[in-house]
Amino acid sequence: MESTLSEPVLGGAVPAPAAPPGGAPAKDTDEPRRGGSWLRYIGAKAGGAAVSLVMVVLLGFFAFRILPGDPVRSLADGRQVTPEQMDILRRQYGLDQPLPAQFWRYLTDLFQGKLGDSYTYNRPVMELILDRIGPTLLLTGTAAALSVVLGLWLGQRAAWRRGSRFDKTQTGLALVFWSVPTFWLGLLMLLVFAGGLHWFPTGGMVTAGVRATGFEYAWDVARHMVLPVLTMVAVVYAQYLMVMRASLLEEMSADYLVTARAKGLREDEVRRKHAVPNALLPTVTLIFLTLGGLVGGAVTVETVFSWPGLGYLTFQALSAPDFPLLQGTFVVFSSIVIIMNFFADIVYRLLDPRLRAS
Amino acid sequence: MRLPAALAAAVVALAPAVMAAPATATTSKASSTTLKLALTGDIDSLNPFKAILSSSTGILALQYQSLVAYGPKNNEDIPSMADKWETSTDGKVWTFHLPKDRKWSDGQPITAKDGAWTFKAIQTNDQLKQANGSLLSSVAAVEAKDDETLVITLKAPQAPNPGTQLPIMPEHVWSKVENPATFANDKDSVGSGPFTVTSYDKAAGVTMKSNPYYWRGKAKIDGITYAPYKNSDAAVQALKTGEVDLISGLTPAQYKALQNQPGITTNAGTGRRYQAIGINPGTQTPDNTPIGDGSPALHDVELRRAIVMAVDNKTLLDKVLQGLGQEATGEVPLAYPQYNWDTKDLPLKYNPQGANELLDKAGYTKGADGIRLDKSGNPLKLRLMGRNTDPTHQQMADYVKPWLKEIGIDVTTVMKSSAQVNDDSTVGNYDLYFTGWGMGPDPDFQLSINTCASRPNADGTGATSENNYCSPEFDALFKSQHEELDQAKRSALVKQGQEMIYNAAVNNVMYYANTLEAYRSDKFQPFVTQPEKGGVITGQNGPWGYYSATPVGMNTGTGTDEASAGFNPATVIVPAVVVLALAAGGFVLYRRRSVTAGDRE
Repeated sequence: MESTLSEPVLGGAVPAPAAPPGGAPAKDTDEPRRGGSWLRYIGAKAGGAAVSLVMVVLLGFFAFRILPGDPVRSLADGRQVTPEQMDILRRQYGLDQPLPAQFWRYLTDLFQGKLGDSYTYNRPVMELILDRIGPTLLLTGTAAALSVVLGLWLGQRAAWRRGSRFDKTQTGLALVFWSVPTFWLGLLMLLVFAGGLHWFPTGGMVTAGVRATGFEYAWDVARHMVLPVLTMVAVVYAQYLMVMRASLLEEMSADYLVTARAKGLREDEVRRKHAVPNALLPTVTLIFLTLGGLVGGAVTVETVFSWPGLGYLTFQALSAPDFPLLQGTFVVFSSIVIIMNFFADIVYRLLDPRLRAS
Repeated sequence: MRLPAALAAAVVALAPAVMAAPATATTSKASSTTLKLALTGDIDSLNPFKAILSSSTGILALQYQSLVAYGPKNNEDIPSMADKWETSTDGKVWTFHLPKDRKWSDGQPITAKDGAWTFKAIQTNDQLKQANGSLLSSVAAVEAKDDETLVITLKAPQAPNPGTQLPIMPEHVWSKVENPATFANDKDSVGSGPFTVTSYDKAAGVTMKSNPYYWRGKAKIDGITYAPYKNSDAAVQALKTGEVDLISGLTPAQYKALQNQPGITTNAGTGRRYQAIGINPGTQTPDNTPIGDGSPALHDVELRRAIVMAVDNKTLLDKVLQGLGQEATGEVPLAYPQYNWDTKDLPLKYNPQGANELLDKAGYTKGADGIRLDKSGNPLKLRLMGRNTDPTHQQMADYVKPWLKEIGIDVTTVMKSSAQVNDDSTVGNYDLYFTGWGMGPDPDFQLSINTCASRPNADGTGATSENNYCSPEFDALFKSQHEELDQAKRSALVKQGQEMIYNAAVNNVMYYANTLEAYRSDKFQPFVTQPEKGGVITGQNGPWGYYSATPVGMNTGTGTDEASAGFNPATVIVPAVVVLALAAGGFVLYRRRSVTAGDRE
């Protein structure tokens, strides 16, 4: 689902070094390190992002109208509902209005920062999303941070000693985890560490019915986080490992390392102070790109571990179909991806002087 | 290698610490008497005017009473808020008597005015019709004669008691709410049932406490906690670890796996839902305009009957449900014995040879490939539609396809999204499809959706038809059962109606699946089921199952303890020390490795 959500966005928004309208790259080379160039660069990227956002808003409305299923009939599915009651519901949701009128209402709402009311939850979509974005960010953020640290660290160790047993086991292990289906790994963790060994709770974010506060609450949440975070990390860290490894391998043949060694630097200093910082560059973009996808990427893990986050909310919205909720999550997910891409562009340029000069 | 060794050491070091954590946490204070349930469904709202999902209505059924309740024994009408009621001879005026001494959970008296307010609120505010609007479509007027007498006048005579389903709300709370349609009602709620909601949080679940004023007496437990589980496998594990006490909605595989677990008792309760194959007899709008793309061959009742005879319902029950259900007769399941069509003599029971003979006689000749030709000389090719969200549909399709081939019908199966199946079946875009309906204790609605008036408009709006069936004789029968106040006579009419649908062969009802449940019998004594014999604990029409929860050894004080999140310093300190030690060790290791790596180069 995540890919369907972000695909059109990525298409419009990963504007790598493509020439954006209004900012001719030729001029960039003429005035390399001056403020104007930066401004133009950011302006172009921001323009691209804005265009993508507009596309998202349009797509967010029309894409889901193609879905089969009358939302009101779905709500009434298997229930005792009179035709009169269904008409009332249609009126309430504005579904009796022609499509352009519905679109206009969606747009005007959006400009007031409103995302409409969910059919299924009878609450403002914004409220529902804000409610659940916290748990999702906590889960995916922790998992992302751990994956990045673990992946980059193992990646550079593996590259530095390419072909060693460490390299082979680590890359092998990472690729195995990467290929394993997330839900399967999650279920396995759940069966072994929760059901079998009783080490961790079987699901949720807090123990149900217990009103804990302060440190006790934090500890409760931490215990509930262990299994889902481990599952996510296991599946995700491989990509950081592989990128870091490849990137460092490329650097290792560079002449400046010979110079560094010739200066008499110790081998680990050569690695830490010279090779690794340069090799980190490609991973920065990767980190930002995956951060964007993280919010939506937690669907499986959230479902397996009953985590009260956004992923599951989207899944529910799709099966209804709950148009306002779908539109809302789509716009929010996509905006995050677009904004992260924008940051990736900026940071990349900040870090890499070559990009600034060319 | 050192890293794997270090990791192994870490695991060994960490294991006892983490294992010790929950162990120490569980040995806290004496047993609390809370029933913990796995909440596997979603909660849309706890506002009784809005809630439609079964998890929510289940919770609300514990909190609010109707005027009349469905009893645990047989789903029969029994006293609830009203202890007596009578019907005028024409069946149009229903008078309910509410006893003086009944109270809401906040101690305020329950009066007939609460009832009148609830009915009127729904009648006068469209926004409040979402959940229960249909229950009022036959109501002309509601009036509280005095505090103890509520009179409901109906537009037309009817047999179903108009006081059974609508939850009555406390006027003194709800009339002060600014907008009842948006009131969340999820904190310290006031109700009249055995339990009331104290809090709801999407992460922490729903907590309910016992209502001290419940007129049948305060429950034996202090309250109920619903723990949200989005994954039923996790809920099963939670039952094993004691994180929850009772779960429902198990798959046959999960059910069988739990059957031999110590401390756990399983219950296969008679379900309230039938599973069937709908056969499209030709869909029409209320003004008899044909719609949909159903095969015209299926307009022939003989062909439809042959199809029913070719399907082996018993095998489907045994293979797909692993036998956890009952073979079906009519549409009303065994859970409602008053209306279940309990015949043994089913003319269309599994008989492929008979089906073939029937088709031969009706003039469907077989082509060279063994496929019969329809009346216009085309090979009999039919589509079978199912939901891709229900794995049993594909399994059943795999059996049905060869069975129909055996009688010369070529079937292609297609699995679609639930929403698509809803759309297609409504406007008649199907030949055969897997369908099923869950049912309340009164069969009136279920029969009504087979009347000619319930056919949809061409665009799918309007009424809902169960099987796109229409017959004037059935309509007449529906009307007479709807008005028949004599229970025995009405039951007979309802059974006759089911037989009519059966003989029209528009719906091959295959089985009633059991509701599969399991609970911690080391913590709770057996629950009251509905119906009494072979019934369900969860999802009842009423609060009886949860209300009956009785802790094992409640009075002796030997109740077993549950895993709680009780805080024990050891659970933090031990792992923290281990983690710190590991971090320090890892750092040392890292430094050493850096040096040795350098030396090697």
